[in-house]
Amino acid sequence: MSDYSDKELLDLFKDNEKRNYAFNLIVRKYQVKLYWHIRKIVIKHDDTDDILQNTFVKVWKGLDNFREDSKLYTWMYRIATNESLTFLKQQKTKYLLPIVDYENHLKETLESDEYFNGDEIQRKLQKAILELPEKQRIVFNLKYFEEMKYDDMAEVLNTSVGALKASYHHAVKKIENYFKED
Amino acid sequence: MENFNKKLEELKGNSTNPFSVPEGYFENFPTRMQEKISSKEQEPAWIMKLMQYVKPQFALGFMIVAFAFISIITVDFILSNKNDSGLNNELYTRIIEVDASEFTERHVLDVLLEEDKKTVEKKKIESDYYINYLIDEDIDYGTLIDEL
Repeated sequence: MSDYSDKELLDLFKDNEKRNYAFNLIVRKYQVKLYWHIRKIVIKHDDTDDILQNTFVKVWKGLDNFREDSKLYTWMYRIATNESLTFLKQQKTKYLLPIVDYENHLKETLESDEYFNGDEIQRKLQKAILELPEKQRIVFNLKYFEEMKYDDMAEVLNTSVGALKASYHHAVKKIENYFKED
Repeated sequence: MENFNKKLEELKGNSTNPFSVPEGYFENFPTRMQEKISSKEQEPAWIMKLMQYVKPQFALGFMIVAFAFISIITVDFILSNKNDSGLNNELYTRIIEVDASEFTERHVLDVLLEEDKKTVEKKKIESDYYINYLIDEDIDYGTLIDEL
């Protein structure tokens, strides 16, 4: 399954008789990475599950028009990121919450989440990350947890490498301050 | 900052993923996804395509209907206001049915006064008719009040 390259998967998808099989392979190849990317943004498992499904539905619909200007996986990350940010925006609008209150709500979710098994220092790190602005949080997660290259991140977030480096630097600084203050 | 970067790296190296998922989640997800895609595929594709094509036409159609509706309401409003002005078509015809040479301010006033006179006479005739009826039927004021 993992032997297929993205190019091979795309070629397979173009074959009408094999497109379902190809899509299944794409889901199997990327579900874990995309799940954790989304989960670190929205925190709750159920929300992550919904967003992951929406992401793959959009991938399914968009694959026919995918022009291969960008890499398949950065394109999928971009869809997942946009879906997650749209979800956060909807939640804030739905509950009429200002940004700060919504971040607090996410921290509370972290406390009560039955699928969070981290120790105290990991919980503290997650809380510090939740203090960051949304975009900075995504940059930090992609770089720190997923070890994504800046060039790929630039494709996902449609930003320059320089801006991303600066963003990551600021994020680390803020997390350090959070640890010092707390 | 350098020290903290090292601390972050150590933290990452020493720990496993603090988040977890329900048991069997990733094993079942591709099947769930396949089912979802299949159900999406079974949605009548022609309806979706038709909607995509028809949507802009809907907007245009709605604009035309709205424009026609507003026009009808406006014209109706203007015409109803004209009818309330007191000068009906018959009166206009009488005013302008003379030769241009005879058409003077005096002529217009004559026609309007004659019309007023007719209205008063008509009302008088109606009143006489009611009075005569009441006398013939021997209905006095007290009876009328009792009946009302």
